[in-house]
Formats: sequence, structure tokens, C-alpha cells
Amino acid sequence: MTSTAHGNGQINAQTLHEDRPGYYGRPIVKPPEWTDLIPTYFFTGGMAGTCAALGFAERIAKNDALARTMLFGAAAGTAISAYCLIADLKRPERFVNMLRVFKPTSPMSMGVYIFSAFGGSVTLALASELTGVLRPIGRIFEGIAALFGPAMSCYTAVLIGDTVVPAWHYGRESMPALFAATSASTAGGWGLLFGPSGRSNSAQRLALIGGAGVMLALEKLHQELGPRQKEAYQTRQAKMFGDTAKMLNMAGLATSLFARKVPVMGRIAGAMLLAAGVCERFGVFRAGCISAEDPSYIIDAQRERIAREGNRASSN
Amino acid sequence: MTTFIDITALAHMTSAKAEQATYGENEHARKGFFTDTTLCIGCKACEVACKEWNQLPSDGYEFTGQSYDNTGELNGYTWRHVAFVEQFERPPEAQDSSAGMNRWLMESDVCKHCTHAGCLDACPTGAIIRTEFGTVVIQDDVCNGCGYCVVACPFGVIGEKWQEGEGKGTMGKCTLCYDRAKIGEEPACAKACPTHSIQYGDVDELRERAAARLDQVRERFDGAQLYLNTENDGVGGGGSMWLLLDKPETYGLPPDPVVPTKHLPQMWKKAGIAMLMLAGAVTVAAGVRK
Repeated sequence: MTSTAHGNGQINAQTLHEDRPGYYGRPIVKPPEWTDLIPTYFFTGGMAGTCAALGFAERIAKNDALARTMLFGAAAGTAISAYCLIADLKRPERFVNMLRVFKPTSPMSMGVYIFSAFGGSVTLALASELTGVLRPIGRIFEGIAALFGPAMSCYTAVLIGDTVVPAWHYGRESMPALFAATSASTAGGWGLLFGPSGRSNSAQRLALIGGAGVMLALEKLHQELGPRQKEAYQTRQAKMFGDTAKMLNMAGLATSLFARKVPVMGRIAGAMLLAAGVCERFGVFRAGCISAEDPSYIIDAQRERIAREGNRASSN
Repeated sequence: MTTFIDITALAHMTSAKAEQATYGENEHARKGFFTDTTLCIGCKACEVACKEWNQLPSDGYEFTGQSYDNTGELNGYTWRHVAFVEQFERPPEAQDSSAGMNRWLMESDVCKHCTHAGCLDACPTGAIIRTEFGTVVIQDDVCNGCGYCVVACPFGVIGEKWQEGEGKGTMGKCTLCYDRAKIGEEPACAKACPTHSIQYGDVDELRERAAARLDQVRERFDGAQLYLNTENDGVGGGGSMWLLLDKPETYGLPPDPVVPTKHLPQMWKKAGIAMLMLAGAVTVAAGVRK
């Protein structure tokens, strides 16, 4: 009798549709119910967090022009993020129910509070910046936003790592670094694209650090996933987005090197890095969906652990 | 019970015992199911009884071509699902029955009401609660349909209720008939099961019963095994447990389920490092002035 890699019985019996793993190839875990608003949020929220941090740093360094650009980036990111988060709920009118409880076991609950503190501060800072009212207070809120910025950029990595989705869960330890690096490259990209000519050097430096970081973090992620789980990132749309992100990232980095001599190159580089960030987020999201829809990812990962450490879920 | 800050949730994952204890004198013995698949005849009375009692609509009329299973999966509207697995080892032309085994496996699947419940850990609204019976229930008047529980369940039990009507847009799953439990009645599926394949009772007692049953059938069934009957597994054991006749994945169950929250502290640690590195990168970028 034939036995497939994911075999349909330890008695080695032939089961109908034995070419499909598990139970008729049906998913073991449910793929996310989330729409594309969620990877969009990963992008806008991540970028906003790091924009706020760089903006405040520039404020301290007395480069008000770039600080203003970065604050606008943080505000734009926050506005889109708020829309995405609420619109993706199946019952959006109940979004305030998120504030009923404070649950350390839920990264989404923690994220709601991080986002509230961050988004609230950015909004107040922006209001002060635009109206000129209570400038010193506005600056304090810029500082608070900057304080929450890195958490805003990184918590979403914990949010997806803390799921049963194989492509996310089995890459959970390197995901935060990838999200941090993508946030840095996109925030730098925002500064390059919209920043004041000749005064955006720190955005360029951040873009370079972030972009290089993305490449390192991806390498680490692939290592953590291992050859089998990595396949999800090399399948269909996940591969398309991932490859595009990689190309745009490298092109953006190379172009940004000329930003100081030719300002328009800086703007082009910024646009490419932002686009790379979008693709990176969508690639990770699609890989998650692909790995949840195909039960062989779960079965292979769990069987591998059983082979290594022994069976604990069933006994005979 | 849900308070603004859930004390038990300050530990990195929730646990049935600690949460049940918050009910004080209203706490009951932990209730659960033992589903003995050696007795299942695939009649789907459990599916029907569940739909009727819980007033769940159909989730569509689909012919799957997958044995007698036209239900397919557990989801927001289907809280019991009977799996059918046809296994043919003996070629049709073989006259000699010793040439191999032909068998038809049936298993009624349901929410596991885990000791460490991923959905409960993940729920950001407090809509998902541990009841005084140690079961896990979604309150559909609180749930805002964020969908985080869906990807936090190692068994793919939870789904969205998408149809018009009460609870539209919230997430649904088995409640172990919370309303019936409150008046001392067994769940509708267990009541309807004509062969006692589905048995309801105190989890401690069911675990012993399951072990005794395995001893009985081990000789007769190659591959017989208990599933989720021990606290040592990755979800701390189920309130629901099974006697299976083949590997869990044959029935669409994960062979080694682990509550994702188990690794949460480690993930936050890595995220903390990433945050510091990000802050460092920003400082360097802004600090070099040229």
C-alpha cells in the first residue's frame, strides 16, 4: 500500500484522497478571517510609530522642518490605522468593547492600549503643531508618542506570532526584528519622500539602517522557520509580494545613496521604500493564510516535534 | 468571570482551575465530553440536536463527495461535526479477509474546552469567558468580531456567524450547552447520541472512564489512542477528550496542539529587544549630525 509523507494512518491503510494530507486536505486551523485592512494596518501602524520617534528626535536636534514632516507621517499613519482596525471588525460599532478589559494574555488587548496612548498623543501633538496653540504641551505629547512609537512598531509582530498560524507562529522569535526593521525603512522612506530638501539626512540614515535590517531580519526569519515552514513564504502571492519587497528595498536603498546630491533621487528612494514596506507586510500576511489553509504545515511541524520530544497529546 | 483586569490573566496564560475558582461558592465540578469513536455510527444525531437546541441555522447545502461528510468542518454555526474516514487496505478482488483491513471511521468533533484556552487568552474584549463549569463560552452580546480567537484556536473550532439575524458578525462555537448545564441537564448532543459515543460528565471522572475504555479495546483495535485526556499536552488537556482509532490528523485534528500563549513571554522579550534596537537606530540616525 502507498504511504504518503503525511500518511493517513499508522496502520498504513489506504484512505480515499490519500494524496491529500490529513482529513481530505481540509485546514486543521482556521485561516484568518481578517481582510487586507490588517496587513495595511501593520504597514501604517509600524511606519507611524517610527515616524513619531524620529520626529521627536529631530525636534530635540532642532531640525523643526523634518520633525514636522515626521509628525505628519505619524498622524497620517495613525488615521489610516484607526480606520483599518475599526473597519475590519465584523461589528465595528462595538469597537469600544476593546476597552472593557486589560488583558496581558492578549497581544491585541495590549495593542489597543499602546495604539490608544500613541494615537491620542500624536493627535494632540498634531493639533498643537497645526494651530500653534499650547506649543510646549504639544511637544510633550510628541515625546509621549515617541516613547510609545517603538512599541507601536513592534507589538504587531507579537500579535501574529501569538497565533496558531504556522508561517507566523514558527517565525515568532524573529518576527519582531523584521517588523522593527520594516518600520524603520518605511519611516525613513516617508522622510525621504516628503522631507525638506537638504534637511532630511537623518531620514536617509534611518532608511539605510532599516533597509539593511530588513534583509538581515528576513534571513533570520527563514532560519527560524526552517526549510519546510519557509515554503509558505515561497508560494503564490506570498512569494510575489516577498520578491517584490526585496527588489524594491534594494533598489530604494541604492537610490537613497544619491539623495544628498540629487534631491529627486531621495524622493524616488522614499517612494520605493514605502512600497517595499507595503509588499513586505502583505507577503507575511499571505504566507500566514497559505500556511493555515494547507494542513500539511501543521502536521509536519507537530510531527517533527513529536519525533524530537515524544508524544504528549495522545496515549495508547 | 470578567473584571477589568483579569487577575488570572496576569499569568501568561489562562487556566481552567484558577478561573473556575473565581466563582466561589457557585463553582461546579469541571464538565466535559468523552467521545468514544469506537461506538460512533455516523448518524449525525449530535449535529442535528445541537442545531435544534442552539437554534443554529444551516451553513449551506454542499455535496462534498467526502464520504458521508457534507458538513465539512466546525464553524460559527456548526458546533458538532461528524468526520467520516474510509480506509481500504484490502483490494476489492481479494477473497481472503486476512489480506488486509477495510474500515470506516467516524468521529464526532466538538470544541475542546481547553484547560489553557487559546481563544480565551486572545479575546481582547472579554467576550470569551470561563464558566463556573470550567467550559469556555463566547458572549455574543459582547463580541465585536475582531477574529483574533479564530487564529488562536489550535483546533480551528471557531468561525464567524455571517448570516442576518441575532449575533451576526460575532464568533460562534460550542458552549457545552451552558444553558442546559445551569439546570443540571446534559448537552443536547450527548442526550441525542444513541450509542453513548458522546458521554458527558465531570472531567476527572471522564478521564478515568476513557483510560478504562482504552484498556478494553486496545487488543481489538490497532491504533486505538486517547486524545487530550492528559494535562501534559500543549493545551493542558481538554474538557473534551477522545478515544480515536487512528492518528489525530486522520480525523483533521492536530497531532500535537499547543496553546500559542505558551510562548508569549518569550515573544514579548524578543519584541522588547526589537523595540530597543529600533529606538537605538532612530537615535543613531538623528544623532549623527552631518
